[in-house]
Amino acid sequence: MNWVAIVFFALGVVFAVMGNLGVLIFPDVYTRLQASSTCATTSVFSVFIACMIVSGWTAMTGKIIVITLFFFLTNPISSHIIARYAWVSGIVPWRRSYGARTALREHYDD
Amino acid sequence: MSARTWWTAVRLGITAAYLMAGWLLFTWDLGARSLLLGLFYCLLVAAISFPIFVEEHDAARRAHFPRVHVLGAYLLVLVYSMYVASFKVLWQIVRGRINPGVVHFRTRLRTDIARVALTSSITMTPGTITLLLDDDHLIVHWLDARTRHSRYAGSLIAGRFERLLRRVWA
Repeated sequence: MNWVAIVFFALGVVFAVMGNLGVLIFPDVYTRLQASSTCATTSVFSVFIACMIVSGWTAMTGKIIVITLFFFLTNPISSHIIARYAWVSGIVPWRRSYGARTALREHYDD
Repeated sequence: MSARTWWTAVRLGITAAYLMAGWLLFTWDLGARSLLLGLFYCLLVAAISFPIFVEEHDAARRAHFPRVHVLGAYLLVLVYSMYVASFKVLWQIVRGRINPGVVHFRTRLRTDIARVALTSSITMTPGTITLLLDDDHLIVHWLDARTRHSRYAGSLIAGRFERLLRRVWA
């Protein structure tokens, strides 16, 4: 297998793992969506590029290009719909100062 | 031929051309038999479905004729900024220290399709998600909010996409 393909597959794995980690550690729905969008767009796109390099200039590449274009059209829409629903239904985004205040209060309460 | 008949023919042609591009990518074959078969079925499907894809009026006809070379450059810029932003988000996940914020700004793009493309690109880039698009007013959630100033935030998040998109569907 080509070295470039291996690099892109590795990038896909790294982004997927870190994106899922981000979903676990981030505080609210918007930031979790950010982390999941990292894993959903960049890692999948890396895997597609690697697949194109592996398959070379053949009929399979054309199909992967079609899938990639379709993915470029649909994937942002789904993230946007989730974020839009959260925003319209009035979920207040988490802010760092809020977290710092909470942490300080817990610190002084002890 | 009246203007209306001409525009109907152009609508059919646009739909058939887009379908033909898809056919070529899927079959990956330039033989005469494959091309003729593809042309026949593209025209057939286009004849049935062109009212769905192209509007009856021709006010937004620029949406169907993007400048292809600028569109290619735009996709390259999009992929590049996607990777750069991914590494930034990766670093923020590793460090566990984030500064999210919501910024509002306005876009100068005027066509519908360019605005949709801008919104999708912002959502596609890790670290920014469009929460709401209302005419030209965008609300964006930013994982690393460096500023709350509307115009500066707009230029940081969408500036380079906007400059290219204005040339794609001007």
